[in-house]
Amino acid sequence: MTELVNEGSGERTHVLSPLMRESLMDRRVLAAADAQEVIPILPDVHVVHIGGASILDRGRDAILPLLDEIVHCRKTYKIILGVGGGVRMRHTYHTALDLGIPAGGLAMVAGAVNEQNRYMIQAVLARHGGIVLHKDHYVVLPLWLAAGMIPILSGMPPHHYWEPPGPSCVPHYREDFGMYMVSEVLGAASMIFLKDEDGLYTADPKKDPRALLIEHIKPSELLDLNMPDLIIDRAVLESMLHARHARRIQIVNGLKPELLSRALAGERVGTVIEAPQGGRTDAR
Amino acid sequence: MPAEVPARKTISTPLGDGTLNARDFNAASAYGPPIRVLPDVHVLKIGGQSIFDRGKAAVWPLVEEIATCAKQHQIILGMGGGTRSRHAYSVGLELGLPTGIIAAIGNSTSLLNARMMQMLMAKHGGILVNFEEFEKLPIYIRNGGIPILVGMPPFHQWERPPETGRIPANRTDAGVYLMAEFLGAKSCIFVKDEDGLYSDDPKKHPNATFIPKISTRALRDMDPNDLAIERVVLDYMERAAHMRHVQIINGLKRGYLTRALDGEHVGTVISADPHACGMLSEG
Repeated sequence: MTELVNEGSGERTHVLSPLMRESLMDRRVLAAADAQEVIPILPDVHVVHIGGASILDRGRDAILPLLDEIVHCRKTYKIILGVGGGVRMRHTYHTALDLGIPAGGLAMVAGAVNEQNRYMIQAVLARHGGIVLHKDHYVVLPLWLAAGMIPILSGMPPHHYWEPPGPSCVPHYREDFGMYMVSEVLGAASMIFLKDEDGLYTADPKKDPRALLIEHIKPSELLDLNMPDLIIDRAVLESMLHARHARRIQIVNGLKPELLSRALAGERVGTVIEAPQGGRTDAR
Repeated sequence: MPAEVPARKTISTPLGDGTLNARDFNAASAYGPPIRVLPDVHVLKIGGQSIFDRGKAAVWPLVEEIATCAKQHQIILGMGGGTRSRHAYSVGLELGLPTGIIAAIGNSTSLLNARMMQMLMAKHGGILVNFEEFEKLPIYIRNGGIPILVGMPPFHQWERPPETGRIPANRTDAGVYLMAEFLGAKSCIFVKDEDGLYSDDPKKHPNATFIPKISTRALRDMDPNDLAIERVVLDYMERAAHMRHVQIINGLKRGYLTRALDGEHVGTVISADPHACGMLSEG
């Protein structure tokens, strides 16, 4: 039964709860939630992110075969699609930085490029159930998925002007992170990033032909390697260390669309980045 | 698979056109410092549990003081949540909800406090500003309005998993601070119910000693189990382009806010630049 706890006139009034009067910065208070399981919200949905620079900027010849495969896979799997920004977003960052726009301003304007890509992909997928998912409409996902739709999101997270100052002037929280958080919050069945390489390599395979494919790695190991060229945003790897659900992500070559159905079926195509299960954090 | 990999349609910039890499980040830092968007505004965070939950005895006098100060200073208010947030968080945690949902829930308490504050301040020019109207701040300020915003940052389901537990690391302190940093504000003042920072929670430990000023690094080294300000704010301050220090003041004592807005050191100053610690105005 809810009760009000009044400390007296001019003093605080509390609502009775286990967190009442507690500081939410007290580590003992915070840690109390670690022991409990977190419910998966939509555990049978797969989150698939289409890279901007890697796939979408390559135009029709890269996009259409991939979308055909996505439509085919949707017959078997529930899929939420994310779209990246790509080179127009890079040009937006360039212009904004040149003008002296702060990081929050970059995060605010960059999302418009994702929105262009989202509208284009939605238009192509509309007859197959492609539908634009605005972040405010997140709660209608169960209905859309049950109706066989393919919701399409802009990958950029809604940090907007509130983008925290990061290690660089470019927003730290970008599209890879945005889609990763969709899979983490929903407790999704999988998180697949479609890029233009077979996976993660020891170096950039576009520049170094001796680069070797890494098939399996922990996020902590990957962060420690501190690679200059990383095919996935660091914010994703950092978040994986503390994730409650999305402790496995997969990087798959979207230019070889047939790999998507194999990845959705749970096959280890491409690169699997996986934090050990069971622990609260990935042991470092 | 196409016989040949379809080529990228590119636009050349100093930043590359692939996944942003270390070289791009270096290129990004060569552009020079960001501008200040609204350099004359003072951003105030009104505590939820510390101020608002005390009701009219605490809030009414503070409203009058803010209204008087707003005649001399441009003021933006960000509202905290308080005990109803705590209640909602504890129900959410009990249900096993993830951090992202808890963060989205937290927004509502802050919003309803912002709405109440707006009603109290309407006669003095208080106006509720939603995230979507953020760009309209200049017209409100120019016309003597006092914009009132939700303290929670708009991350909602995109709040990253915290290192400990499931309560979001970015709450109303972080949201208000990040707004001040983006705006390049003149000051960021946290209005709470203690004179500032103490060596421990003074409500539970009467022997706790007052800390008039401290650097983010010293505060981190102290590593107190509890802290009067959200820890992420310290991280952000150290990387900030503008908001390198903040002040925590007592909103229950009349006149402190007025003095703080005039650039006086009346509470605890936390600074990311120890040598500048105590300097309040960016001037």
